[in-house]
Amino acid sequence: MRTTKVLIVDDEVEFASTLSERLSLRKYDAKAVYCAEDAFAIARSNPPDVVLLDLKIPGMEGTEIGKIIKQFNPAIQIILLTGESENKIISENLGKDISDYIVKPVEIGELTKKIDNAMKEKEKLDHSKGQP
Amino acid sequence: MRIWKKLMVGFGVYVTLAAIIGIFAYVELRTITKRFTVVEVADDITNIILEVRRFEKNFLLYKDDDTFQEIKKYLAVLTDDTDKIRKEIIKEVGTDNYEMMKNAIAEYDFQINILSKNFKLQKEFISKIGVLTRSIEKNLSGDVLNSFLIVRKYEKNLMIYRDKDIYATLINTLNSPKFATAEVNRYRSLINGLFKLYREEQSSIEKIRSKARNIQTFTEDLSKRERANITTILSRSAILLLFAVLTIIILGTAVNIKIANSIATPLKQLEGITKKIATADFSKRIDVRGKDELASLGTAFNQMQDQLQNTMRFLELANEKLRESRAQLVETEKLATLGRFSAGVAHEINNPLAIINEKAGLMKDYIDMSEDFPNKEKFNVMLNAIFDSVRRCSSITHRILGFARKTDITPEAINLNSLVNEVLKFLEKEILYKSIRLELELSEALPVIKSDKIQLQQVFLNIIKNAADAVEEGGLIRISTGIKNNTTFQVSVEDNGYGIPKEMLKNIFEPFFTTKEKGKGTGLGLSISYGIIKKLGGNILVKSEQNKGTTFTVEIPV
Ligand SMILES: Nc1ncnc2c1ncn2[C@@H]1O[C@H](COP(=O)(O)OP(=O)(O)O)[C@@H](O)[C@H]1O
Ligand SMILES: [Mg+2]
Repeated sequence: MRTTKVLIVDDEVEFASTLSERLSLRKYDAKAVYCAEDAFAIARSNPPDVVLLDLKIPGMEGTEIGKIIKQFNPAIQIILLTGESENKIISENLGKDISDYIVKPVEIGELTKKIDNAMKEKEKLDHSKGQP
Repeated sequence: MRIWKKLMVGFGVYVTLAAIIGIFAYVELRTITKRFTVVEVADDITNIILEVRRFEKNFLLYKDDDTFQEIKKYLAVLTDDTDKIRKEIIKEVGTDNYEMMKNAIAEYDFQINILSKNFKLQKEFISKIGVLTRSIEKNLSGDVLNSFLIVRKYEKNLMIYRDKDIYATLINTLNSPKFATAEVNRYRSLINGLFKLYREEQSSIEKIRSKARNIQTFTEDLSKRERANITTILSRSAILLLFAVLTIIILGTAVNIKIANSIATPLKQLEGITKKIATADFSKRIDVRGKDELASLGTAFNQMQDQLQNTMRFLELANEKLRESRAQLVETEKLATLGRFSAGVAHEINNPLAIINEKAGLMKDYIDMSEDFPNKEKFNVMLNAIFDSVRRCSSITHRILGFARKTDITPEAINLNSLVNEVLKFLEKEILYKSIRLELELSEALPVIKSDKIQLQQVFLNIIKNAADAVEEGGLIRISTGIKNNTTFQVSVEDNGYGIPKEMLKNIFEPFFTTKEKGKGTGLGLSISYGIIKKLGGNILVKSEQNKGTTFTVEIPV
């Protein structure tokens, strides 16, 4: 199993960067961006496997960003980061563009589990498309 | 009776009474007028009698024919007059008396006639005596003549005094043989005849006077009687009129007062009730009596009042409902505002909390990675304390957000019994761990309701969890579902835990009110549950006794 490329998109710089570092320590290829444009740029140049997407980024809904990222590669797995457990947006988009969600503050073990699950899904999709 | 009829009766009573009095007065006046004619005639008769009597005196004095004729004339008038008022007289004195009077008049007439003849005869006799005596005196002389002259003196005295003794002396003297002549014999028989006439005159006069007096007293009596009659009639009329006027006043007043009352009483009642209605007092109804316009007005008024009362009741109810729903709206709005505010706060806290969590996590990562980190254990303890605090905070923020975001309700079909069972599954571990006895009394007849499932779940989760927290090991929780009435269902959660002190009951629904130790309770469970149930239009009731147990009852509208 190759290294999972994780992209964290959150306008809370301290949160995103620290989480990115913690994931890196756990052998993930993690990267943090703080705005939608940067996210799209990376998605194009170096598409991630899993995107951790804040539900709300100034100027754009998380789900919107997810939709756009998915256009670069529909296999990319998107996990929403949210402040609250029961959310209409999540329940409406779960299983469509959004594969999973996790509530902030995040339990790191729980998060890595979710990322791994998402990665498995991603690989399944890649295989079915006949890609390496 | 209709009002105009009543008024007509009132008016009619007056008119009728006035007419009766009028007719009565008219009849009385007619009677009096008639009576007066009788009196007049009676007076006339009296006057005529007086006239006749005056002429009678003259006639007796002068013995002339003119006076006789006058008497006759007046007697004719008298007969006429008595005939004129024959009926009245008969009525007054009876037929016998009337006939008697008539007879008296006839007798009077008769005697006057006799007297008149008598007077004529007297004159004849006297002139014959004059002629005869002159012839006798011529044929006599000497003593005989002287004696005869004495006889003539007697004769004169006899004519003046009409005395019986003088007559006897005269006849005696004539009977002397000196006067035995044919002429003296004739003279004697003439004297005899004259004296006889005198005697007859006397008797006639007596008869005439007696009859005249009879007639006079009769007519005077008649006149007196008639006057007395008129006086009686007048005083009777006066009394009757007075009585009639009094009757009109009393009867008319009584009838009109009764009519006025029958009109005024319902009006007064109406006025009183109208005043009551003006002060929103609908307790009185008009006592409808009779069939007149006022009665139908009363009925209509009562109907109006019923209608008005119904409308008022309806409006009051509507107003009450409006007030209730407005209060509920205000409460909902308050809750929503509070929700939005606390959600904002929670959100703002949650992000730095996430940062703290990551930073501490990273610290822990590095400490765990280095083999020989100084005071590693100490740091781990501190870091765990940080994680605990973060968890505590986030449990609060999550609850707030979970509640606050749910301002709108998404109704779906729910069976309360299965909802309770689902909730119990979440708490399985805890119930087992504390060996809590669970008693379920779930009503079979519970129909499916439409409500927000997730929110109701949260409510029952909170309440049952509180019960589980409150009981000792091996404690009892009894959950029952049922129908309160056809608009409300209820779910009761009863426990035999430590209960809630009375003075605390009013606080338990306040946000952040908790009696549980730090880290265990947030004090948000009941406040959020209360908010949800109020939003759904229901109610939460608590009954609790310290050290005995607590019952929470949730009422949910259909
Ligand atoms: N079943 C119960 N028995 C006794 N006390 C109760 C019960 N339910 C609630 N309480 C009291 O009400 C308080 C508030 O409850 P809640 O709002 O759920 O907050 P928390 O459970 O977090 O304390 C509790 O701390 C407790 O003192
Ligand atoms: Mg509680």
